[in-house]
Amino acid sequence: MRSGMNPYRPIGAEVVDVIAETPTIKTLRLRPDEKINFRPGQFIQLTVPGVGEAPFTPSSPSTWKDCMEVTVMRVGKVTEKVHQLKPGDIVGLRGPYGRGYPLEAFVGKDLIVVGGGCGFAPIRTLMYVLLDQRSRFGKLIFRGGCKSPADLLYGKEMDAWAARRDLDLLITVDQGDAGWRGPVGLVTGILDGIDIDCENGVGILCGPPVMMKFSTRKLLQLGLREENLYLSMEKNMSCGIGKCGHCRLGTYYCCKDGPVFNYTQIKNFPDIWG
Amino acid sequence: MRYISHEDFGRLLHDLERDYQVYVPCRKNIHRYYRPYAGLTDDVVIGEVRAFEPLKAFFFRARQKVAEGFSPDVVHGEDRPVCIVGAKACDLKAFAILDHVFRGHDYADPYYARAREANLIISADCTYAIDTCFCLALNVDPYPREAFDINLSPLDDGFLVETGSQKGTAIVAGRAALFADAGEQRTRDRNETRRHVIHAVQKNIEQNRIPHQDALEGAVARNYEAEIWADEAQTCVECGACNTICPTCHCFLLYDQKGKAHIERFRIWDACLLKDFARVAGGANPRPKLWMRLRNRFEKKFDFFPKVAGMYACTGCGRCISACPAKIDIRRILKRLVNHA
Ligand SMILES: Cc1cc2nc3c(=O)[nH]c(=O)nc-3n(C[C@H](O)[C@H](O)[C@H](O)COP(=O)(O)OP(=O)(O)OC[C@H]3O[C@@H](n4cnc5c(N)ncnc54)[C@H](O)[C@@H]3O)c2cc1C
Ligand code: SF4
Ligand code: SF4
Ligand code: FES
Repeated sequence: MRSGMNPYRPIGAEVVDVIAETPTIKTLRLRPDEKINFRPGQFIQLTVPGVGEAPFTPSSPSTWKDCMEVTVMRVGKVTEKVHQLKPGDIVGLRGPYGRGYPLEAFVGKDLIVVGGGCGFAPIRTLMYVLLDQRSRFGKLIFRGGCKSPADLLYGKEMDAWAARRDLDLLITVDQGDAGWRGPVGLVTGILDGIDIDCENGVGILCGPPVMMKFSTRKLLQLGLREENLYLSMEKNMSCGIGKCGHCRLGTYYCCKDGPVFNYTQIKNFPDIWG
Repeated sequence: MRYISHEDFGRLLHDLERDYQVYVPCRKNIHRYYRPYAGLTDDVVIGEVRAFEPLKAFFFRARQKVAEGFSPDVVHGEDRPVCIVGAKACDLKAFAILDHVFRGHDYADPYYARAREANLIISADCTYAIDTCFCLALNVDPYPREAFDINLSPLDDGFLVETGSQKGTAIVAGRAALFADAGEQRTRDRNETRRHVIHAVQKNIEQNRIPHQDALEGAVARNYEAEIWADEAQTCVECGACNTICPTCHCFLLYDQKGKAHIERFRIWDACLLKDFARVAGGANPRPKLWMRLRNRFEKKFDFFPKVAGMYACTGCGRCISACPAKIDIRRILKRLVNHA
């Protein structure tokens, strides 16, 4: 059968660089054998040969030609092996899968992007696109939260973004250290003062379930509309193509109908933050 | 309507063995299992009721190699396709669900798709019902109406033969000498048996007061927080048999292992009753309790599938009832769901 007809086979990709972001998070730069065109918010399945597969969201700009980056937190079997990879190693890739962010729906609107933990990964890709096309959107606000200054991802980008005048960026940490001059506390705490057009403003959330739950609640309290909130939902996944049944979320499969959902699509399902 | 004698039917299967691996249901104690055809021996039972194992096993294998290394090839073996004899209406109904899953959406599963195209289904009417049969409650008649190539209605002296696809029609037309005109009496006999079996299933449904599917609309959602789930799950031992034995359960896991020369990826049956089914990174589990997973099974079958595919993912085959070591009975749960205010 022809190439591309087997949705379960990965294509090869060479690891060209490994960047240690934090003690538990690494970014891998990969060069796939065939180009993978993804949109911000879509994900790929990464195979460590002989070990297994796990879903990750590319964190590099979607405009890159030959390479893509994934940012991986070490939490278990596959990710442990991902962290042992070195330049020159070969991994497998399938995808891209799912729906990304509906960028056209953001045009002309104020945007508040809220990220937590490893949720920074998909958001980095999105931020690159938003900043690339900065004039198409209204205000751009970024609010991030992580455990400690040492856990902060993408230090270089963060510094560069913090210096931009057309981006209002603020990061909070659960626990500060001697050098930390930013806010301390949960990300919901730094959502309070945001200056955004509530009628049309769009909220984009990605992070651990509790963070999304309370940030969603907060943005709604601030007056943003339900239909203007977009959430990246994380579920256990295996196939990535709507067949294996693992990632069901109400009447959707997170892999093919998400992972980015409009809040109104999912708000009535029971236990969405589970 | 065509007719074939037992002897000629043996010839037909023998002939089909050239192109197919032929499987027939064989009786062993109280159950029927599919076995490779080796003549029409006494234990071969074309009629009776559904086999122990679900028909899906021939189309969506319990363990199927789906990828080798980074090769783009679809890993098809050289095996001849399968001809399954004696498949029952409830299992054929399950194709509606399996087709929706494996042939639908943006990607088709090439293994399932090929099996559906290449395999031959010679189904058969049920000739009686066992006490776990409740197909009629799910609008499935105990005799095939669709999704077969050839259907057999067992008679004393052979089978009444109906064709349901071009493939089936071609097989019958190409072997005209094996078939004869059925005649009116045989058709009457067949209808009589069918009425008989319908009556038996109706009796099951009445005796167990099993709700008809029309009463199931919204029943799971209404009872989402009810104590029914925890109550029913008390005896569950988390074996997953209810999932694997079910003709419509389609969930699987991609599992990699190191092959001789390269990695091999297998698609293996999974079961949503098992604890890790929905577990995510770091051990967080959206369904940590057994009763939540039992509820999930019913939600998927009686809430999700009607909403996304317009059909219930249950055929009333009763397999999960006989397979459950904990005596958890879908008929009782459905009754509780409908009766609970
Ligand atoms: C759409 C999507 C995008 C993601 N993007 C990123 C990202 O950019 N960076 C990042 O660090 N993490 C991301 N994750 C989470 C990442 O996939 C998990 O951390 C990873 O699957 C854990 O695998 P493991 O074998 O190391 O963990 P273990 O806990 O050892 O997992 C064992 C098994 O549990 C199951 N499992 C556990 N967690 C998950 C999970 N979250 N998803 C699917 N199956 C799971 C799998 O079957 C796995 O084989 C994403 C998850 C999803 C669903
Ligand atoms: S849920 Fe039980 S009765 Fe219904 S199709 Fe599956 S095994 Fe048969
Ligand atoms: S077959 Fe019975 S015991 Fe086994 S997982 Fe299903 S409900 Fe539980
Ligand atoms: S990951 Fe298999 S259905 Fe979504």
